[in-house]
Amino acid sequence: MSNQIKIKIADLIGSPLCISTEDSQKVFEKVEQLVKAGKHVTISFENVTMLISLFLNVAIGQLYGSFSEDVIRTQLKVEGLSSDDMELLKHVVNNAKKYYSNKKAYDDAWLEEDSNEE
Amino acid sequence: MKINVGTISSNRNGFDSIANIAARTKNICFDSIELDLSSCRFFEANMAAPLYAVIARLRDELNNVTIANVPAGISTILQKNKFLNVFNQPELPDTNQTTLPFKIFKLTAGDQFNDYLDTYMKGHGIPTMSEALTKRFRQSLFEIFLNATIHSQSKSGIFVCGQFYPNKHRLDFTVADAGIGILENVQRYIREPKITSCWAIEWAMTEGTTTGNWPGGLGLKLIKDFIEMNGGKIQVVSRLGYYEFSANGRFPQEMNSDFPGTCINIEINTEDTSNYYLKSELKSEDIF
Repeated sequence: MSNQIKIKIADLIGSPLCISTEDSQKVFEKVEQLVKAGKHVTISFENVTMLISLFLNVAIGQLYGSFSEDVIRTQLKVEGLSSDDMELLKHVVNNAKKYYSNKKAYDDAWLEEDSNEE
Repeated sequence: MKINVGTISSNRNGFDSIANIAARTKNICFDSIELDLSSCRFFEANMAAPLYAVIARLRDELNNVTIANVPAGISTILQKNKFLNVFNQPELPDTNQTTLPFKIFKLTAGDQFNDYLDTYMKGHGIPTMSEALTKRFRQSLFEIFLNATIHSQSKSGIFVCGQFYPNKHRLDFTVADAGIGILENVQRYIREPKITSCWAIEWAMTEGTTTGNWPGGLGLKLIKDFIEMNGGKIQVVSRLGYYEFSANGRFPQEMNSDFPGTCINIEINTEDTSNYYLKSELKSEDIF
C-alpha cells in the first residue's frame, strides 16, 4: 500500500454536496485513521458542487483535536478547491486551532473547579 | 377561537404579530383556531415561514387551524407561494416567477433543499446574479438550513420560503423552525441560566462560538460578513430575542411575545456586483 493516499470526497460520501455532518464525520474518521497510520493524505474536492463551513469544521477542523499542527501540515493536502473555498477552509483551520487551544483551557478550568468542590 | 391577524411585514413588528398569535394560543389543545386575516392589509410572502412555525406548534397539539377572510390580493400572494396549500386551498401559477414557494422539509432533507434551490433559483423571474453572489448566497442558505436541522430539535421540520421584490432589487429568504430556540441551546452549553434570548443570539452570531462537539461558529459570522459587503440584512428571531444586522449596524431588541422557535431571514441586494473572490490565491501548504 502506497504511503500517498488520495481521498475523493464526492466518491466517499456519494454526493457532490458537502453539507451534512454525517458525511463530514465519515470523512473525518477516514482521514484520521490514515493519518494515524502515517499515511500522507490528499483530500480532493473534485466534482463537489456545494461546500459549507459546517462540513469543513467536522471533516477537517476536528483533526486538530487528534493531531498536532506539525503532523497535519506534513501529512495533509487539499486539492480541487476554488480560491474562495480555500479561503473558507483557511478560516475553518484557524478557528479549529483556536477552538482546541481554548478547549483545553476550558477543560482545565472545569477540572479545577470540580476538584475544588471535592 | 378566532385570532385576528393584521399586517405582516418582514420587520420587528411583523415578527411580533406572529409571536403574539403563539402567545394568545399558548397551552391550547384539541381546539379550533381560526386565523382571521380580514384586517391584514399587507403580507410579505417570506413571512409565511415563521407563521407556519406557530401553526405547526398548534397542530402538534392537535388543534384544527384554519385561515379565513383573506383579502383577495393577499390570497393571490399566498396561493402563488403555495402557503395556502397547507390549508387545502389551491395554488395559483406564479406567472412572474418571483417566488421561492413555501415548503416544509424534514430535518434530514439537505439534498431535497438543494433540489429546491436548483428548481427555484435558476431560470425564473429571480434575477441573474453574478456567479460569486449566487454562490455566497446559496452557501449562506445552506449554513442556515443545516444549522436549523442540527440545533433546533424541531419536531415539525424546517419551513422555508422566499420572495424576490423586483422594484427594490431585494431577495428575501426565510428559514424557520418550531424548535427549542437559540437560548436553550446556548444555556445548555455555557451553563448560565440567566442569559437572555438577545444575548444568546449575539453569542451565536460571534465568530468561534459553537454549541456542537466540534469547532464551529463560523457560519453565521461568514453570513454577516457577506451581508455587510452585499448591502443586505439578516434578521434572527428566537423566542424573546430579535436581532437585525446590516451595514448600518446591529440592532438587538427584546420581542413583546415569545416566538416558539427560531427564524432567520436573509435579505440580499440582487444588484450587487462585488467580487467575493480572494485577490491572492491560497495554496494547500498555506492552509494548515
